[in-house]
Amino acid sequence: MSVAITIDNVVKRFGKDTIINGLSVDVRPGEFFTLLGPSGCGKTTLLRMIIGFNSIEGGTIKIDDQIINDIPTHLRNMGMVFQNYAIFPHMSVKDNVAFGLKNRKVAKEKMNALVDEILETVKIAHLKDRMPTQLSGGQQQRVALARAIVIHPQVLLMDEPLSNLDAKLRVEMRNAIKIIQQKIGITTVYVTHDQEEALAVSDRIAIMNNGIIQQIGTPKEIYQRPNCVFVATFIGLSNILEAKVKITGAAKILDFGAYEVPMDNLIPEISAGSKVLVSVRPEEFEICLNRSDGLTAVVEHSVFLGVTTHYFMRLENGQEIEVIQNSGVEDTIPNKTTVRLLVQPAKINVFTEDGNTPLIVRGNR
Amino acid sequence: MNTAKKFNLWMGIALLILCFFIIFVVYPLILILYKSVIDPESSKLTLDYFTKFFARKYYWSTLVNSFYVTVCSTIIASVIGLPMAYVLRSVKIPGSKYLNILIVISYLSPPFIGAYAWIQLLGRNGFVTQIINSIFGVKLDGIYGFAGIVLVFALQSFPLIYMYVSGALKNLDNSLNEAAESLGLTAFQRVRQIILPLVMPSLLAGSLLVFMRVFSDFGTPMLIGEGFKTFPVLIYTQFMGEVSTDDHFAASLCVIVIVITLLLFFLQRYIAGHYSYSMTALKPMEAVEAKGSKKIFAYLFVYGVTFLAMLPQLTVIFTSFLEVSGGAVYTGNFSLQNYMNTLFAKDNNSITNTYLFGICAIFIVVFMGIFISYLTVRKRSYVTEVLDTVTMFPYIIPGSVLGISFLYAFNKQPLILSGTALIIIISLAIRRMPYTIRSSTAIITQISPSIEEAAISLGATEFKSFWKVTVPMMLPGVLAGAIMSWITLISELSSSIILYTSKTSTLTVAIYTEVIRSNFGNAAAYSTVLTLTSIISLLIFFKLTHNKDISV
Repeated sequence: MSVAITIDNVVKRFGKDTIINGLSVDVRPGEFFTLLGPSGCGKTTLLRMIIGFNSIEGGTIKIDDQIINDIPTHLRNMGMVFQNYAIFPHMSVKDNVAFGLKNRKVAKEKMNALVDEILETVKIAHLKDRMPTQLSGGQQQRVALARAIVIHPQVLLMDEPLSNLDAKLRVEMRNAIKIIQQKIGITTVYVTHDQEEALAVSDRIAIMNNGIIQQIGTPKEIYQRPNCVFVATFIGLSNILEAKVKITGAAKILDFGAYEVPMDNLIPEISAGSKVLVSVRPEEFEICLNRSDGLTAVVEHSVFLGVTTHYFMRLENGQEIEVIQNSGVEDTIPNKTTVRLLVQPAKINVFTEDGNTPLIVRGNR
Repeated sequence: MNTAKKFNLWMGIALLILCFFIIFVVYPLILILYKSVIDPESSKLTLDYFTKFFARKYYWSTLVNSFYVTVCSTIIASVIGLPMAYVLRSVKIPGSKYLNILIVISYLSPPFIGAYAWIQLLGRNGFVTQIINSIFGVKLDGIYGFAGIVLVFALQSFPLIYMYVSGALKNLDNSLNEAAESLGLTAFQRVRQIILPLVMPSLLAGSLLVFMRVFSDFGTPMLIGEGFKTFPVLIYTQFMGEVSTDDHFAASLCVIVIVITLLLFFLQRYIAGHYSYSMTALKPMEAVEAKGSKKIFAYLFVYGVTFLAMLPQLTVIFTSFLEVSGGAVYTGNFSLQNYMNTLFAKDNNSITNTYLFGICAIFIVVFMGIFISYLTVRKRSYVTEVLDTVTMFPYIIPGSVLGISFLYAFNKQPLILSGTALIIIISLAIRRMPYTIRSSTAIITQISPSIEEAAISLGATEFKSFWKVTVPMMLPGVLAGAIMSWITLISELSSSIILYTSKTSTLTVAIYTEVIRSNFGNAAAYSTVLTLTSIISLLIFFKLTHNKDISV
């Protein structure tokens, strides 16, 4: 009974500015789908087009097979959780949650049962008669969620719902949201600029930048196989190094100048001598103290963070890089030490010189 | 399409309200402008009326007098109001909360009651004058003319300066003060170099408001001015005078006063826009215990000024219980005679009129104010922009000018309203509208649009979400504003005095006419009723808002 959302070639303009120009994406039934991107990338704009607060200047948005472009918002049957919760301050928790049901003219008995049930689900049944000013941020968040899902919407939309909570509560609430979403199996579109949050809750993530979707994939795909330099650096940290492709016989080699890495997963079409960008996450380096090969780097300073130790280093060409190692029992490497860095060929990503095309064969891990 | 239908609903409301303002604000104003430059006999364009005004000293001297009075009153009001605000914020003074309320009360009573009360005290036969005359054996003639007008206006207006500066001081973080102290500034240097510059914008804004109020007030100079004629008095006598009235000349005077207030309005806008600091105090200034002579001086100053400000009210209430013979001569006995003559007199509906007109006007103001502010904030379009501008017009039109323009506009077909209660109700509503719109707009901008969006996403129509969510959220603030409007409306004189007939007389009109007829006893009784109504309303306001501070 969950629905699919088909966004086909939509256009959004504010006056003369085109914010989104022909964007298409499919959200699968029952999926927890996240729009992730830096602020101003158009993710909230897209969300508000789905619910109808923003008009659609071109293209269509379909719920299953029905085009909803011209359906007014209040008839779209979508629940929304707002960044500032938008709890009606002059109504009790119960009245807030019942608001949508009243608009649907649900019979009183059934309404009370539904309200009680949903308050139970979001674990605030004991706050039923409180006024919003008496609630904490996390509790208001739960009211907003209950209010949005009690109407059994076809689609649940959330616009940065956790950004006003403190760090600890944010983790607690994102788990709660994920559990509740799975329980009711509702198609959900979630907007956030917090990548950790996106990785934690989503079935799939769409990375947006400048009104364009850069990549759609599961959290694992997005993190481990980003399809461009933007995604690689936006999700997690990536050191971007320049290299050249060298082909000797059947072997394809990344040539960093003084250091060569044989690769077995580069795409076959790659040509010898082409310049490439290599994206290496800080944990994908291996630090060696007594070797003659590898990238030469000097430790500038280090930060001990318990589980891991972060090193800030400078390469011979002056580039600053970050390296993360699991903290061991041995001493932290002192500043100004010259070390050699090895990369792990199976984990690193390679892109064309412009950073827009991946050069790693998909599904080869 | 459905969105087009909704668009039309809001658009329809906007156009409806716009029509109301075009009929009751724009049309009368255009009529005044038209009359001021048209010769009635030849129907040709003429500037004769303006030349007449500027050619004869008898006329233009009133304008000079007005400026003279206004500048002096504004300066004195600032000189009293500024230190009052600072002392009450910085020195611990017992009962300061009540002093604050008393100052607000003294501000809310109409200025001409102050004029009449001061005549009772310092006039030719005033209590104080008589005492001085008998002690010193002199024959003082009482405080009339320039000095009297300035005394009344200064005492009546300093509370406005006080409220503005006090509000600014409340938002001034004490750490600024402490920072200056740590940098080696003495207390006096801190006031001069830190506090004064920071409250200066509020002081200027307050003084300009005082300027505009004083400049267009007509009751006070009329009562206490005697030979000293100000511009509003000239307008009134030209329009209502018994000797010779000239509609077209009066219209040209109205145009002159509108131009002046318009210039002041833009000056105020400019100052507010260019010289304001946005401050929010995490730790506001705290009132501390003063010591020695400083303490005595602070107490004397604060209590003294508050006493002077309240003196007219006290005088009026006291004299209302005195027995009078022949209207103005006090017999020295106490009685309820004045109340019997006024409250329980036959055919006297000025009290019920006041309440009825006030409530009707408030209803219109609140209803329209909510819609107008909502439309201009949330449903922006060319129409609402025009609406935004037009609804601010009454802010710069003095009451007497509005009254005169109404009589010009609505004493003939197709819309005969002169002499009806409706014309007074509408004039009251229109005069108060800009204030209500401003406060409602402030309330709406504090409500996040996503609250309404939430309601819509839950299946409410746009209008329903406005009615069920936005309006209830606005209501507490709007109602508090409505009480303040109510207090100002019941003490309105300058347009009612022009529009009233014997059937539509209000309390202020009754007080004014009784004073003119030298029925001081009756006037005192009416004034007491008005003052008590204001005080009770103000107490309700404080109770509702849990707030000691007021914005007018």
